[in-house]
Amino acid sequence: MKLQVERDVLAEAVTWAVRGLSTRPPVPVLAGVLLEASEDSLTLSAFDYEVSAKVTVPAQVDEPGETLVMGRLLSEISRSLPAKPVSLAVDGAKLTVSCGSSRFALQQMPTADYPTLPISPEPSGSVQGDVFTQAVAQVAIAADRGDTLPILTGVRMEIEGDKLSLLATDRYRLALRELTWNPSTADASHVALIPARTLSDTARALGASGTVGIALGHAAGGEGLVGFEAGRRRSTSRLLDGEYPKVTAIFPTSVDTVAVLNTATLTEAVKRVALVAERNAAVRLRFSEGQVGIEAGQGDDAQASEAVECNLQGPELEIAFNPQFLLDGLGAIGTAYARMSFTQPSRPAVLSGQAEADGDADESYRYVLMPVRFAS
Amino acid sequence: MSVWDDVIDQPTVVTTLDRAVRDQTAMTHGWLLTGPPGSGRSTAARAFAAALECPRDGCGECHECRTALDGSHADVEIVATSGLSIPVRQARELALLAQARPSVGAWRVIVIEDVDRLTERAADALLKALEEPVSRTVWVLCAPSLEDVIITIRSRSRHVRLRTPSPEAVAELLTRRNGIDPQLALDSARAAQSHVGLALRLARDDGARERRRETLRFAGGIHNLGDAMTAAATLASIAGDETSAASGERDGAERTRLLEQLGADPAARTQPPHIRSQVAALEKEQKTRATRFGRDVVDRALVDLLSLYRDALMVRSGAPVDLVNADLGDQVRDVAQTHTAEQLLLAMDAIGVARERIEAAVPPLLALESMAISLQVKGVRV
Repeated sequence: MKLQVERDVLAEAVTWAVRGLSTRPPVPVLAGVLLEASEDSLTLSAFDYEVSAKVTVPAQVDEPGETLVMGRLLSEISRSLPAKPVSLAVDGAKLTVSCGSSRFALQQMPTADYPTLPISPEPSGSVQGDVFTQAVAQVAIAADRGDTLPILTGVRMEIEGDKLSLLATDRYRLALRELTWNPSTADASHVALIPARTLSDTARALGASGTVGIALGHAAGGEGLVGFEAGRRRSTSRLLDGEYPKVTAIFPTSVDTVAVLNTATLTEAVKRVALVAERNAAVRLRFSEGQVGIEAGQGDDAQASEAVECNLQGPELEIAFNPQFLLDGLGAIGTAYARMSFTQPSRPAVLSGQAEADGDADESYRYVLMPVRFAS
Repeated sequence: MSVWDDVIDQPTVVTTLDRAVRDQTAMTHGWLLTGPPGSGRSTAARAFAAALECPRDGCGECHECRTALDGSHADVEIVATSGLSIPVRQARELALLAQARPSVGAWRVIVIEDVDRLTERAADALLKALEEPVSRTVWVLCAPSLEDVIITIRSRSRHVRLRTPSPEAVAELLTRRNGIDPQLALDSARAAQSHVGLALRLARDDGARERRRETLRFAGGIHNLGDAMTAAATLASIAGDETSAASGERDGAERTRLLEQLGADPAARTQPPHIRSQVAALEKEQKTRATRFGRDVVDRALVDLLSLYRDALMVRSGAPVDLVNADLGDQVRDVAQTHTAEQLLLAMDAIGVARERIEAAVPPLLALESMAISLQVKGVRV
């Protein structure tokens, strides 16, 4: 293998490819980054069993070939090189990196031990990068982090025509985001369960600019994969398997009370009041005409209370929530006003966004929150 | 060539597993491979994993086969512990992994080489994943015997029993794979009682053979208390030598391989920091292993000693069975003549007790001294 490539191009590509590599990989050979030089491009790939990353950059190739070298080392080297063209060449058991007057020789790692990389998928459709990044962030917060039910650690991605929905729940709250995307075929229909952690890492890494291509089903080379693509960067993530619980019944069918509040004010107030709520204790929200009283702490413990202005429609109501779960939801809606819909204090509440105090509700994102029982 | 080549003398096992690979209806999600140490449980498990991932059902040559056998395949997880137990944290991670679909191959294969080392809570953490498997996950569990595995795991998996391979088959493997001289291979295979790893060590290392012979010299050679004490001390020191020789060889090989995989130059005098940290982690693991290994070596020495008494008993009773120590025929006959059948059995009992004591964490030297005293020959010639 022998090629020349621009320093910035190489540094950016290597850094992106090895970003997911752990310092303690499950098998040593996975610490490597695979370099493949073909006619006029250089492809870098890294894999940690869960996620694979692949990026192709233009290069002037004199001699095609492939080699495997320590990923982090190559990334550090390429970032510290002077801004001149870099030439890479395999020389015996070493890969020589030369740039200007600097020379590095890296020991090659055995490619025979390197696992087969998942096949880079052809996208089944695409979505705006910023929309996708936001949607993933909104939903991933509700995924389970524990290990009691592995299936709940995933985000369920469902595609029906030009509708794409993301859903996650950890049994105490549920987040659902619906958006429109551009499928490559009009009758696209897929369901995939993507580990929440890898999905949010990937969405972040692909960046909010441009469009993100998503590959599912057979388009992804196998049933067990989902592929993402943004520009020259491609990544795959493995999927979870199993039956996702039926969750549609959780959404309340009727609404009795609706409250519209300023998101920032409510968030601040809940944060303050929650300071006295011991580990799992709830904050109580008493909704009445024109305002909501927020309280926490009981009996001999420290207590706090605060009132926030709100626009209430329907009967008054008192309800209690886990403060962290409530704050997660408020942080995710991303609009100036929050709309909370209730039926009864013992039934789940629905949180959604609203751009203006007296505008219409934005139903594209819904965050369902289970209330906490409290002694009244 | 096929992945099953190294699974020696297990025709029924190979047939069962090979059929499961080729025939969807013969496949199941949980397998439990049992067999005595050295019978090739983990070899069989790895071969099975490779065959499942291989597009040609186990050719043994393709990239999928090679990486699966090696343990670096993306969809094959091999859990091998050198510690005393597999903690619950690790079991939970496995349960989580079991939920993931295979990303490259057809199956996600999880091989646990020592299911008997699962702690009770760790085993419980696996039950759900074993009982309600997702469609493409296969568990391959290995244990010395069915009784070592808790009933709730046993009932959730299909049992495949491996037998002790014949010394001839082991010798054939050593000759084919490692190029050992056939006669030496056969002697070593017999002496190792068909334990493949051990046989290879005996065949390769003159020192190991010499140490074994030295151990066996004590059979029938202890006449008074002084002899007994010397014998125990010598046995302990022989075991010590064997431990450092065997683990030194393995540790060195592991280190070289790690450096190679990390892309570091094994010949370099100092390694870069990130490589040093991995090497340090390996050395720490090797150290914890050494304690357990030392105990195993003493146990193996006792098994060797036991085999000689067993041979003597066979000779004495005139049973027409193969001797383990066929190459030491004279000594076997000598021991057979100087001991009555009852004495031989008592000696074997004494060795058995010593093994149990060492297993129960009695300091090896104490257990060996107590055993050597029981092995004294009272100068009776019958």
